[in-house]
Amino acid sequence: MATKTNYKLTKKDFNQINRRNLFFNQLGWNYEKMQGSGYLFLMLPQLRKLYGDHTPELKKAMKTHNQFFNTNPWVNTIIQGIDLAIESKEGAESLETVSGLKTGLMGPLAAIGDSIFASLLPAILGAIAANMAVQGNPFGVVIWLIANLIIMYIRWIQLPLAYREGTTLVTKMQGQLNALTDAATLLGVYVVGALVATLINIQVPFVAHIGKVTVTLQNEIDMILPKLVPGLLVGLIYWLLGRKKMTSTKAIFIVIIVAVVCSALGILGKG
Amino acid sequence: MHGNIMVWQVLLLTLYSMYQIWDELTIVSSLSQPVWAGLITGAIMGDVTKGLIIGGSLQLTVLGVGTFGGSSKIDANSGTILATAFSISTGMNASTAVAAIGVPVASLMIETDILGRFTNTFFQHRIDRLIDEENYSAIERNYLYGVFPWILSRGIPVFLALQFGGNFVSTAVKVLDTHLKWLSNGLATAGALLPAVGFAILLRYLPVKKHIAYLILGFTLTALFSTLYTNVQSLGTTMSTVSKGFAGSFNSVSMVAIALIGLGFAINEYKRNTEKQKLTELVSSYKDSSQEKSNDSEDGEIYGDED
Repeated sequence: MATKTNYKLTKKDFNQINRRNLFFNQLGWNYEKMQGSGYLFLMLPQLRKLYGDHTPELKKAMKTHNQFFNTNPWVNTIIQGIDLAIESKEGAESLETVSGLKTGLMGPLAAIGDSIFASLLPAILGAIAANMAVQGNPFGVVIWLIANLIIMYIRWIQLPLAYREGTTLVTKMQGQLNALTDAATLLGVYVVGALVATLINIQVPFVAHIGKVTVTLQNEIDMILPKLVPGLLVGLIYWLLGRKKMTSTKAIFIVIIVAVVCSALGILGKG
Repeated sequence: MHGNIMVWQVLLLTLYSMYQIWDELTIVSSLSQPVWAGLITGAIMGDVTKGLIIGGSLQLTVLGVGTFGGSSKIDANSGTILATAFSISTGMNASTAVAAIGVPVASLMIETDILGRFTNTFFQHRIDRLIDEENYSAIERNYLYGVFPWILSRGIPVFLALQFGGNFVSTAVKVLDTHLKWLSNGLATAGALLPAVGFAILLRYLPVKKHIAYLILGFTLTALFSTLYTNVQSLGTTMSTVSKGFAGSFNSVSMVAIALIGLGFAINEYKRNTEKQKLTELVSSYKDSSQEKSNDSEDGEIYGDED
């Protein structure tokens, strides 16, 4: 077996990697190498075609791709596409370059992928779905499924694209994605503001009797600004989350305890 | 209305809980999200609406919670399955079920998640060894074995809880409804307040300071409109019962319309940004050409392909 390989990936190869990526990526996730063995599993058949079975090159390649690896599971095949493009051109000699490329790309791509696919889209789609669901309407849930099917299609076509375009793809995407991320986060912040005003059904049931005058506190608050209580509570929890050693799970339990106490005291109630 | 869940229901829900973690990890079809868990569990238990309400509430609670860098996150999906199943089988109030069952279960499941991730290290070590032995099919097989720690980390606790937890939950519901009314009210309040945590977590991940103006806009616009719509709605409903000639339908405020206003702002921002990029590129290419006196125009790199 020569070190330089001349195997070009075909549509069949791409489909095989994509199938493995869609159904089996992250199944081997573990604390030691995270997605490491997954990276190898996804392209093992292609590596065997590139280097040939039982060659020292293949062993070296398998070891290279069984190292620590962790990135966002929506964009990982971009890295694999670029990797395969280099390896099929340069062979086993490129493995050091490839391993640098992997570590170099997994961080930035995880940042882009996590902010768009892992938090922004699920947040917006989830908010719409949940908003409809709490009213007993399953339509928003179906919208989410459709949106994710579209994302799956994008995940499917990004691999051959990355293979063709190589490293230029990442730099090309960067500028456009920045503008898009900025606009999308703006929409995200705006939508959260709107959700705070609609989906937190909390009010102050406290009624004060001063002599013969009864003051319904909620009424007074509504005069200042409707939905002021939900707004303030979100602000309070936001502050709480920013404190040291605070995790989201802890915050959830603190909120439950405080809500039970305030409800028993008659300060807060379900709207 | 007793705490019993049929065997076939337990089995179906256990199967779904095992599928959902698989979906969550790699397929990501949204079927593993709490709203879907609510819908599916509700369908299996025979009350889709209640499932949607519980799933929706838990969805809002974890709106901003994602896994970053492989950390375990609160498992609201399993929490939804158990909260919905018990809420329907014991007649527990939906908001109470969210706070009393959904959240505690969801956070307990973090432990089994960690256990699953830990167990997978075993297969990783086998793969490390099999590479030296050049046993290709065994590498693939041992990789795929990784699915078992994952699905069992959800399937076992969900099965045990559904199978043996029913009596406990139905007793708890009885006590909550009679002796501990204050606690049950409190848990319902907590259930209604939990979305606030979800929104706050989400805001932590978003550039709030940069877009603070739009946070205020979204909140205030919606607060005003929703109050207006609710008032008109109650006014109209009362009017139509009083006067027979008065007819008309009154809807609550359209969230799609509110979101469209936001989309307008977002489109503007996108346009401004791309303009800015074009400008800076023009400036830099102008500088380049004046310094090097070459005609190498570098455009087409960022805004070369439209859309």
